[in-house]
This record gives sequence, structure tokens and C-alpha cells, in this order.
Amino acid sequence: MGQKMELACIIDDDKIYVNLVRKIIEIKKLSENLLIFKNGLEALDYFKIILTNMTEEKLPDIIFLDLNMPVMDGWEFLGEFIKIKNQFDKKITLYVVSSSIDPRDLERAKSFNLVTDYLIKPIELKKFEKIFDRVANVA
Amino acid sequence: MLNDLQLNNILEDFDIAYWKINLLTKEISWSDHFEALVGTPPTDESLFEHFMTNVLHKDYRYDYRVAFENLTLGSEDLNQEIRLKLKNDKFRWFECRNLKRKDSNNIETAVLLFVNIHQSKRDQYTIEENFFYYRETAEMTTTGGWYIDITTKSIYWDDVTKKILDCPKDFNPDYDKRLQFYAPEHQEQANSIFEKCEKYGIPFKTELKMVTLYGREFWVQATGKPVYNEEQQIIGIRGVLQNIDENKSNELNLQNSLDIIAAQNSRLFNFAHVVSHNLRSHSSNLSLVVQLLNEAKNTQDKIDLIENVEDISENLDVAISRLNDMVSHQNLLKKERTLVSFKQSLDIVISSVSSLINRESAKIIAEFKALKEISYIPEYLESILLNLITNAIRYKQPGRVPVIFIQTYSVNDQNFIEISDNGIGIDLDQYGDKMFGMYKTFHRNPDAKGIGLFITKNQVETMGGSISVTSTVNIGTTFKIKF
Repeated sequence: MGQKMELACIIDDDKIYVNLVRKIIEIKKLSENLLIFKNGLEALDYFKIILTNMTEEKLPDIIFLDLNMPVMDGWEFLGEFIKIKNQFDKKITLYVVSSSIDPRDLERAKSFNLVTDYLIKPIELKKFEKIFDRVANVA
Repeated sequence: MLNDLQLNNILEDFDIAYWKINLLTKEISWSDHFEALVGTPPTDESLFEHFMTNVLHKDYRYDYRVAFENLTLGSEDLNQEIRLKLKNDKFRWFECRNLKRKDSNNIETAVLLFVNIHQSKRDQYTIEENFFYYRETAEMTTTGGWYIDITTKSIYWDDVTKKILDCPKDFNPDYDKRLQFYAPEHQEQANSIFEKCEKYGIPFKTELKMVTLYGREFWVQATGKPVYNEEQQIIGIRGVLQNIDENKSNELNLQNSLDIIAAQNSRLFNFAHVVSHNLRSHSSNLSLVVQLLNEAKNTQDKIDLIENVEDISENLDVAISRLNDMVSHQNLLKKERTLVSFKQSLDIVISSVSSLINRESAKIIAEFKALKEISYIPEYLESILLNLITNAIRYKQPGRVPVIFIQTYSVNDQNFIEISDNGIGIDLDQYGDKMFGMYKTFHRNPDAKGIGLFITKNQVETMGGSISVTSTVNIGTTFKIKF
């Protein structure tokens, strides 16, 4: 295992899932810090604030994005995120994570260039480690 | 005047058989050609009797004998269509008539001609037979024929066409009013196809809606082709029209059923997707817990994780009971429609959510004068009202007393209900298409479960209606249901 990641981000409305992932990251020491948003809009607001340079907040190295969320779902977030991603000064790796096994969702997610992969819940611990490891060492 | 020899030659040249009869002696002689046709007669019998028993078809014997006697008496001409048995034992049609002589002085000889008319007789039968089939087919398939004479600007209809159009048999269609027999929305199309056929000779085959003399609308399949004269100018249009109203309405019904099935199917698909998603999200959490349990180093970590299992099981319970709700809503389908009073339904709903109404001091104003009751499933109407009222209160404009205005009315025999509120409204440009989807919530409201409107839409559509929404942010929302 190489370097540890600085900041990971989870956008998901399932509290239990988020807690469990938080535990995994703690136990496995995968990332220094963790950002958590309940829906796409909260995450988008955070990114927009960063772009105004009015804050000390940082961009995450990796985003795990859920699809089914209230207020702003994963698809809408992707649509908005595409519009602003070119203004960021670092590469952000984005994974779509959903319990949906609908092939249409999979196809649609893969049609986005900025989506690295579509992960179906549950994600195995080893897979988590692998993903963090790869992103941390590339970054 | 031709002499006998010349006459004989001519007749033989034309392959016409004949008898020569001596009117004084009643003696008959057959021409060679006649003998060649029916065979050589025996010598021990009179030619006439041999002819009557062996050559002439028995159906004509009586009439022929009478006519022949009349002829030999010189009183009447003979002209009959008869059947003769030829040498090969086959019967053939002949026209038999005497050669008329204008010279009344020379009456000792009569000539009886036998002209083979078998082919034309058979053609005539075929034509009669075809005509019979045509007429029967036309009747059976209600297909009428018509002809438009362009030169005289007149229209001819056959009986079936008149029948299809509810016109009496002696009806004479008026060329200038021909478009009155087409449905208003199809008159332009009808006019255009006839014009194209008349001007450019383009044939047509199309489905049109026509109107009978009494104003009944129905669908026909109309075909038409140009008719040319010898100079290749178009002088008319000829065609048939077939009443396909039954087929067409079957087709439309079928399309309707297909649409309903497609809608049901898409709802089922959506449902299956939701079921899968909901159950999977809990099972995947459970699997994560198990993985973490295996990694946990001390007892405290393990106890913390077990708490998660409790939460998951609770959530799973909620998810399953929600799915049960949905399924039981679908099952209500089997219930019967009854006459439901809007007022009574609303009262039931208001009393069931009275605590919410009181807490928010919501005002509900109902206007059911124009339409007091409707044939519906009572549980559906209550569920629809409940969902829309609780939605309206839940998404009230902060600081504003929620006011809900409910109104029923009917327009052109179509019944409607409108439920309007003064709440926070919703940006339809952004969320309009998702409004009635499952698990869609649009406001940062912790109560939002995102299932109410999906069920409402489902119930309305199951009953054959539709629901639409108009809304202005910060002003309010109106739901309109067409029953």
C-alpha cells in the first residue's frame, strides 16, 4: 500500500451505508478526511463555493456518487458537475455507486466521460482498498 | 336475289347449318353441314321425328314442335334458342330461326338456320355468374361502386353505395354537394385525392371518414381509378368504397388496449425496479456490516456494528411495508365502482388528518355544487384527496396559513376536480417530468417520502383518468384530475 489519500467524498442519502463506509475508511486508513453530502444539491453547493475562492475548503480526490437521492439525484448532479468541472485545478475521480442493477442505469452512467466506473452496492472491502490505493498513488 | 346454290355456298362458307323445308310436301332436307354436326340420320325414320327424339334436348321438344308447325303453316316465324346433341354426344347451344323471305309469292320452301351460339351463351352465363358473385360480395363486404362523369359533372352510385350512405335507392347524388358526404375534417383530403385523380390520373386507395345522409359518421376504405376515353383523356373516375367502420373501431380499440397495457407494463417495470432497488440497498448494507464484523478488532467495534444491523432491519421492515402498501393499492382494482359523494369522502379524509390540519391551522374550502358525486372506487378517491391535501399542507409557504381550495365541475360530460394550494410551489421546468415518479422528493423536507404522487397518479390512471399539475414557485400549486 502506498500513499494515503487526502480527501474522499460520499454523496448518498443512505445514512447506514455512509456510516459503514466511514468505518471502512477509518479502519483501513484509506483517507485522511471524508466529506459527506445527503444529496446532489448539497454537494454541488459546496463545489460552487470552492470555485469562488472565498473558502479554505478543499476539492476531494475521489467522489462516490449515489443515484437515487431526494432533492437532486445523481443524474442531475452529474449534469451540473460537468458544467463546472473544467474550472477545477485538479483531477477528481468519480465513481457512481448504486444498488440499482438496471442495465439502463449502467449504460447511462458509462456514457459520462467523467464517470470512472459504475459500482453496484455492496462494494467489497478489498475493492474499496484497491480503488483508494490506485487513486492515491496516481494523484 | 340469290339463287339456292349461291345461298347454299354462302351458308356453308359461314359454317351455318340449315334445313330446307318444302312447305307443300312437308319434306325436310338437312344441309351437309347439319348432318356433319349431328350425324347421319337413319333412313327408316322421318328426319323430323329422329331430330325430335335423338338430337333436340328434351327440354325444348314441346315448344319446338309447336313453333315448327306454325312455321310450316306459314303463319309464324320460328326463332328459338335450343340445345342440340352433336355426334360426340355433347349438347351445344344453337339459335334456330327461319330465313325470312320478303317475296311472299315464293313460299313453297322455307329455310331454317342453325347458328352455333354456344360460346356467346356460355359467356353470358359466366357474366351472369360473375355478376352474381360480385353482387353477393358487395353485399357481404358492404362495398359499393361509384362513377364520376367528369364531362357531365354527374355522379352515379350503385345500390350498395346508396345503402352504405343511408340514401334511398332513387337518390340522385348532387355533384356540387358531393363533399357533404365526407366528415368535415376529411373533406379537404377527399377533395384533393379526387382532384389529383381527375387532373393527373393518379389512382388512390385511402381510409376516410364519411358521413351518411343522416349525419352518421363512419370509416370507409375508398379506392378510385381514372377512366380514359379513346383519346386518352380522363373522362371519369371509377371506384369502390367499403364500409370498414367495424374494423376501424376494432383497430382503435385495440390500440387503446395496447396503450393501457403499455402503461401498465411500464408501471410494473418501475415497480420491479423500485422493489429491487429498495431491497438491495438494505441487503448490501447488511453485507457491508458482515464484512466489517470480520475485520473488527475488539468487542466494542463489534457491538457498534450490531447496532447497525438493528437499524438495517428496521429500515428493511419499513421498505417492505411500503411495498405492501403499493401492492394493496393495486389490488383495490378488483373493487367495484360506486356512486361516491365528494363531500363525504372529503369529510373522512379531513377527520383522518385532523391533527395535521389543526397543527398548521390549515383552511380547506370545498366547492362541490357543480358536481356532487361520481362513480368511483371510494378508497381511491379518499386516497387521492388524502395525498393531495397532506402534500399541500406539508409543502406550505413558511409563515403563511395553508389554504386549500377544492372544486369539482364537468365540461362536455367530462368530470374534473381541482385541488389548489398557496404553498411553496415547485419549479416544473426543472422537476415537471419527474413529478409523479417514485421516490422523488423536491424539497428539503424530512417528511418527504416521495411516494404519494406516484400512487395518486397510479390510482387516477387505473380508473381511466389523468392528472396534471400547474405551479408557481412561492405562489402555489394546482392539481387537476380528469376522471
